[in-house]
Amino acid sequence: MSEIRIDQFLAAPECEIMIVRYHDIFQTEAALKHGKFSKEYQDLSAVIMLDPADLKKIDASDGDPVKISNEYGTVVVAAKKSDGEDDTRASEGHSGVGYMPASVWSNILGSAPVSAKMSRSQQKISTIRELIRV
Amino acid sequence: MACTGCALLCEDVEVQDGEVRHACRIGTAHILNRQQIDPMVDQKVVDIDDAIRHAAAMLADAERPMFLGFGNSITETQSSGVRLAEKICAGIDPCSVHTGLINEIVHSRVRTCTLPEVRDHADVIMFWGADPMNTHPRLLSGYAYYPRGKNRQHGWEEDRTAIAIDVRRSHTASICKSFHKIIPGRDTEFIDGLILALRNKVPKTVYDSKKVLKLAGTLKKAEFGVIFAGSEMLGSVPCDAIIRLMDELNEFSDFRILSLYHQYNLRSIAAATNTDTAVSCERPGGCDPTRLREADCLLCVGFDLANSLPQARDIDASIIVIDPNETLTSGYADVVIPCASGGVDLAGTAMRMDGAEIDLPCIMKNGQTDALTRMSDLNIMDRLLEAV
Ligand code: SF4
Repeated sequence: MSEIRIDQFLAAPECEIMIVRYHDIFQTEAALKHGKFSKEYQDLSAVIMLDPADLKKIDASDGDPVKISNEYGTVVVAAKKSDGEDDTRASEGHSGVGYMPASVWSNILGSAPVSAKMSRSQQKISTIRELIRV
Repeated sequence: MACTGCALLCEDVEVQDGEVRHACRIGTAHILNRQQIDPMVDQKVVDIDDAIRHAAAMLADAERPMFLGFGNSITETQSSGVRLAEKICAGIDPCSVHTGLINEIVHSRVRTCTLPEVRDHADVIMFWGADPMNTHPRLLSGYAYYPRGKNRQHGWEEDRTAIAIDVRRSHTASICKSFHKIIPGRDTEFIDGLILALRNKVPKTVYDSKKVLKLAGTLKKAEFGVIFAGSEMLGSVPCDAIIRLMDELNEFSDFRILSLYHQYNLRSIAAATNTDTAVSCERPGGCDPTRLREADCLLCVGFDLANSLPQARDIDASIIVIDPNETLTSGYADVVIPCASGGVDLAGTAMRMDGAEIDLPCIMKNGQTDALTRMSDLNIMDRLLEAV
């Protein structure tokens, strides 16, 4: 018999996050080379760079899907911990502020900077087709 | 050859044996790749003539048509688009947060300069809400930081001070001599604090006043200062705050401003259209959905509405897309008309971000691509003009 875990029935912890957009040359290149519907483009776009403190707040780890929603829309993207030495985006703390590449995944939340609620998610990363409903 | 991968329009690009020389990563991908789709009506593949006929009929029937984009079209296409808009009383909106500042620049309400002037004279360079290392990769090496210029012969270490002001420490910020972190949405407070500091007053601000005073000191000493205003600045700061700052800076030194946007010919269409009557573009990279809802037919030319403004999916207007590439909007548009890409498969002219007119010879030669057989957006626009 599989083990029943209490936390399955509890709502995932949620936190407020301010979304800021950034531009990424590799993501732009992927759109041009492979198209905006490609996996390559999605992998570089459907992400949010989070301060380790924010990841902890929502009980999530690097790579986990996180749901971000506000009055404009909802999206599920991959959380990325921003603490790498060579990652200039992460060389200082930015608790409360999440960085998302400019794309439909961030634009669905409205004009950045914009605040939203964020929690760990069991859902899959939103695809571009789901976001624009085609 | 000139690259139309961004508004720098680098003129030293060459293609030999399928290899692109001198272009950056974005330019190379832009020149060599095309995500083209077939012409479509109601999402079904049709002949291009049918697609143009359908588009013409939709535009002719529309009561409140609106044209969006044109920043990624050659100047000749833009002129034809403006004539078409006049003929059917359509509004034109380039859909960029940069149009306001471009208007101030072209009407000389704020001081600007050319890119060669930046290279020759600039000693203090500010990147505000801009990360050219990721958006305009050759700006720093070609003009803004690293090259020696007429009055800047000692190299960037001695001759230039680069400053980044941004909500996050971008790659560009990491190579600048100083970085000022903005609290998201509170750029204007930083500007107000800086203006006070320039007047030798200690600013009462949420920002570190000592750091702001130090920055003011550096700016006052500039012989020739330049601000590169990026989308993240213009999305948060009203134009009048920028003009106030520029006026104040010019009380003490010689400061210029340039708008750092992506679309290779945005300045030309922004100057050619009256933005007072266009849809307001207060949203970064997109348009105001409330104003867009007033339109009953949207013509997107080289502009991906669904990407910039996914909420526009619910707008109850018919949509025509003219684009060299498959876009998100083409996934649900009523009519899709693929076209050649300006400067790559099609010759023309464009205006660089500093206002210089640049000739765009066709980069691809016969045999290098099948794209030369594609119809140009100029040709499409002329045919629509004839038909409506
Ligand atoms: S900097 Fe811009 S214009 Fe120059 S090669 Fe790169 S994409 Fe092309």
